[in-house]
Amino acid sequence: MKTTSFSERFIPIVSFLLMCGLTLIIAVPVYYLVVTTFKTSYEAAVSPLSLPSSFSFNAYVDAFVKMEYPRAFMNTFLITAFSVAGVILSASMGGYVLNRKSGSKWGKIIFIFILAGIMFPYQMSVLGLYKVVQSLHLMNTLTAVILINIAVNIPFATFMFRSFVSTIPGELEEAAKIDGAGFYRVFWIITFPLMKPIIATVAILNALTIWNDFMGPLYFIQSREKNVILQEVYRNVGQFSTDWTSMFPMMVLGVLPLLAFYLIMQKYIIGGVMNGALKG
Amino acid sequence: MRNKLNVYSPYVIMLLPLLVIYSVFYIVPLIYTAIYSFTDWSNYSSAIQFTGLSNYRKILEDNTLFVGVKNSLVYAISTVILQNLIALPVAVLLNSKLKFRNGFRAIFFSPAVLSTLVVGFLWSYMLSSSDYGMLNKLLASFGIGPVNFLGDPDTALTAIILTQVWQWFGWAMVIYLANLQSISEDLYEAASIDGAGRLQQFFSITVPQLAPAIKINLITGMISGLKVFDIVVSLTKGGPGYSTETILTLMFSKFSEGNYGYAASFGIVFLMLSLALAALLLRTFKIWEDRLN
Repeated sequence: MKTTSFSERFIPIVSFLLMCGLTLIIAVPVYYLVVTTFKTSYEAAVSPLSLPSSFSFNAYVDAFVKMEYPRAFMNTFLITAFSVAGVILSASMGGYVLNRKSGSKWGKIIFIFILAGIMFPYQMSVLGLYKVVQSLHLMNTLTAVILINIAVNIPFATFMFRSFVSTIPGELEEAAKIDGAGFYRVFWIITFPLMKPIIATVAILNALTIWNDFMGPLYFIQSREKNVILQEVYRNVGQFSTDWTSMFPMMVLGVLPLLAFYLIMQKYIIGGVMNGALKG
Repeated sequence: MRNKLNVYSPYVIMLLPLLVIYSVFYIVPLIYTAIYSFTDWSNYSSAIQFTGLSNYRKILEDNTLFVGVKNSLVYAISTVILQNLIALPVAVLLNSKLKFRNGFRAIFFSPAVLSTLVVGFLWSYMLSSSDYGMLNKLLASFGIGPVNFLGDPDTALTAIILTQVWQWFGWAMVIYLANLQSISEDLYEAASIDGAGRLQQFFSITVPQLAPAIKINLITGMISGLKVFDIVVSLTKGGPGYSTETILTLMFSKFSEGNYGYAASFGIVFLMLSLALAALLLRTFKIWEDRLN
């Protein structure tokens, strides 16, 4: 016979209510952000939390045009895609070599050299970076931001790839080599596909931070036709104004791509953060 | 053994992209920053001259950097503590058999995918002290306020901290959840046979078992806390006065003014600070872990 004590029944209910309260705290600002986009400035000021009296997407159309959204989106997308691809290619090859050669002296030295990058935040060397970018004539190019993103994210990604490669048995590669496959062929046909789980984790973690990076483009992209979504938000919303109707749709357009990505990929994104933490 | 280089060369080639990009865009800039912090490199003259320690002397005379360092530290420490005080218990609750727990997880994590810049703009509207600020409107209905959250030096930094706790505790929570899944049920069973209550189990099993996640959350939280930039730019612009400037916002304003050499010396101060802090944290954790084992 089992008696459920008072606290046994009580705790789940209280916990559930607590979680509902926390949900409200998270949800209200987001609800407010979205709902204000459909209101006139007057309506937004008088009844901030009510549902809008009418739904019109005109304000979104205006914001879309004013932000040159398709262009800004494309720039953000190119930066993110090429940076993530660059991190994965360089860190998977590098992590693989550093794992298979972890017994050798130079393998150890290079690994420590790269690991040092996890401890130093790159922001402190942004002025040296400015000088490097200048002397390579890459100022005001997407390429500069992409290369910087790759370099910044290499240390952690290499660390993850290097530990993951331990789970791939070397016998597989040996067998393929005996069958006559060359070194690079073995890597790309056998090893690389087996890295899928860690590739997904690195891709998700990097895509989130790179898409939302504001400081990199702020320092290294000056002209409007090359700027990213967040720079468009910054130049338009930067001045506090009570013209709610034009500001709020821009803010929504600023977060919409990643939010949509999150709604679709929620399970994988949370899984990616969990994975990244466990390995790190 | 004679063809050693041949055997190794594919390895070298595969390492090359990593080494080149990392060196050129990470290591060289670091060295450059250190070197240029001893110069008068600026937008105003094309010649760059070594000026010894003068940038660092200027930092000592210029009070604003102290404010920036202090704010960055206060921000990093408070955000990390608050975030983890919320994230850890929430993760423990969401690891139990709670209704709708996956939904809660997804909701609590969701602000982390929003851009911090936009989050700052959003809260600047919500915290506004004018008649339009949502929060002040809410307070007014209870007969309080209006509170000038962002215009008062005492509350502006707190506002920054709280918005970032709002945005990022879900991230820390997910890391705790990952760790919680690896704690064996046997530990709890043994403890309840010994008659330990829930609260006692939480402190004597859950918290020590979460040491790895606590370590990750505190160290990454501290390092990214020192880097605080976007939220200040969009929420307070460093104001009122200099009261919410941080190391990186000050560095950016020196950079925008064209004082590159001076800005570089801010970077070096920043480096020293984060290294000292990371070393301190790692040491503290070592002591804690030694005591646990």
